[in-house]
Amino acid sequence: MTLRALPLSPRLLAVLGVALAALVAVPLVVDSSYALHLFIVLFSATVLGLAWNVIGGFGGQYSVGHAAYFGLGAYAAMILFHKHHIPPWYGAFLGMGLAVAVAWMIGSITFRLRGPYFVLASIAVAEILRLAALNAKPLTNAAEGILMGDVPPLVLGPLRIEFDSKTPYYYIGLFLVVAGLLVNWQVKRSRLGYWLQAIREDQDAAWSLGIPPTRTKNAGLMISAALTALVGCYSAMYTGFIDPPGVLDIGISVQIVLTCIIGGIGTVAGPVVGALLLTLLSEALRANLLAAALFGLGVPESSAFGFFLKENLAHAHVLVYGILVVVVILFMPDGVLGFVEKHLQQRRVRALAKVVAQEGR
Amino acid sequence: MIVFLQSLISGVLIGGVYALVGIGLTLVFGVMRVINFAQGDLLMVGMYLTYFLFKLGGVDPFVSVLIVLPVMFFFGAFLQRVFIERMLGALPQNQILLTIGLGLVLSNTAMMLFTSDYRILSTSYSSGSYKLLGLSVSQPLLVSFLITAAVTGALYWFLLRTETGQAVRATAQDREAAQLMGIDVRRTSMLAFGIGAALAGAAGALVSPTYYIFPQVGSAFTLKAFVVVVLGGMGSVVGATLGGVLIGVSESLAAAYLGSGVKELLVYVLFLVVLLVRPAGLLGKSRV
Repeated sequence: MTLRALPLSPRLLAVLGVALAALVAVPLVVDSSYALHLFIVLFSATVLGLAWNVIGGFGGQYSVGHAAYFGLGAYAAMILFHKHHIPPWYGAFLGMGLAVAVAWMIGSITFRLRGPYFVLASIAVAEILRLAALNAKPLTNAAEGILMGDVPPLVLGPLRIEFDSKTPYYYIGLFLVVAGLLVNWQVKRSRLGYWLQAIREDQDAAWSLGIPPTRTKNAGLMISAALTALVGCYSAMYTGFIDPPGVLDIGISVQIVLTCIIGGIGTVAGPVVGALLLTLLSEALRANLLAAALFGLGVPESSAFGFFLKENLAHAHVLVYGILVVVVILFMPDGVLGFVEKHLQQRRVRALAKVVAQEGR
Repeated sequence: MIVFLQSLISGVLIGGVYALVGIGLTLVFGVMRVINFAQGDLLMVGMYLTYFLFKLGGVDPFVSVLIVLPVMFFFGAFLQRVFIERMLGALPQNQILLTIGLGLVLSNTAMMLFTSDYRILSTSYSSGSYKLLGLSVSQPLLVSFLITAAVTGALYWFLLRTETGQAVRATAQDREAAQLMGIDVRRTSMLAFGIGAALAGAAGALVSPTYYIFPQVGSAFTLKAFVVVVLGGMGSVVGATLGGVLIGVSESLAAAYLGSGVKELLVYVLFLVVLLVRPAGLLGKSRV
């Protein structure tokens, strides 16, 4: 596939170029290991959102089981490395292959049906894999999980990457973000993307125009699964440890969906914005910034309620996610980006109406 | 043979509870075409209600069904009125996400209030059993099954014999036609969601003497309820009853013959097989 001209205006391209250059420079300037960690978390959340977006955003098929692909990527790489000393970047290919196979299976079973079957099956398959990982002790170490030893250096021609600090993970993460963005832009502008969007809007109309719904949705899901598995492998390498609740839990699936919902579904920028908001929010909660802000607003800190807030808000990020989803779905179904865009547009229309009214007089 | 009969009996008894959760789910789906992903979390709320009624008021868990049913009914009607109602015309995916969000809020609020500790509600009969023809039947499971049967029977009577129940069924069959016939569809929807929540809460009360009580207990029940509902045919109350018992029995047989690790796995594999072979379910209309 040749790279199509990206659907970006020169101005946006310039902004992106500057942003990329700034991000490349970050590890050279920033010394704080915590800051790099934050970026790495942000990068993987972004790529996961972008991966989900391919089938969920363009195709309108919401998977609440992407933990399955994430976990497959993580487990494939870790098992190969742990048992056979095969470096994880080769394991990543196995993980992607397995994820594509599983995606094909789910898709073939459920995409021919109408109704909520795909959502349900995606959850069921993630649960099957989680339970299988918990029970297949010889392969997965069951609940004990797999601890990764030292990763050998990756040699790419003259380049030798040592995995002894956060910096290589930072650059791999950044690379994955760029790759995820390219995949999204490519898919969006390709025949597959147009087909997916047509099916999302009206499957019957799409079908009557000769678009094969099952095959098209399957292709989208497989791309999405492969990218997710890649992040799974990356994330497992970075954490250095995996166990079933850590990589196959339904909470991971929900978080991936949230990233896109909160940012805005079906746009390339949506998952990026969503990942940024969610990562910042969860860090703010962890550092108890939110409780501090509430105290700043006049909630008495020494009262029982204040104590309760301080004790609990640091661990409440899932609760806050839940509230966010409810609020976003009820009041901004197009996500934060869509909400902002709509308001800007309304303002423009109002301004225009004013001008027209004045000229009419 | 003894092992087989033994597992069969405990499977049927447990299946009754699955049926109860599933009926609530299928009723809501039938009337509103909304899949309630918070169903298991409503069950969790019922469990905690029962637990605290027992700990603080000394109310027997099986008696507390009488309190949990109406409380959860009003809670469900409230959820319908405040949240679900606004989403009835929206994309089905967004409805699903809304109920997932509500479920997260419920389970994580419970975690904040009660911590994630496992609690056990132990009564004098928690581990008691009856002997019957050489088979032992767990006392709490048997009582809970009898109550389940009574609740299900009452629900069938309500749906088949009363005017309001017929309005519910009419709305499930064709929402617009029902509206044209003068049925207050909004009220019926509130009623359906209330009943769904009440059934989940009752199931929670009934399993509380035999299950661990913790904030995340709901998700396993939600998933199982989906399997039950899809197996029976989405929207079919009779199907969900049948599906619940079938899932209970296959789980119990799998635990006896294949090991308890495989038990849960089998339920989800069964689910995929149903989708592959007969996606309409046992008693559902075809949705291919």
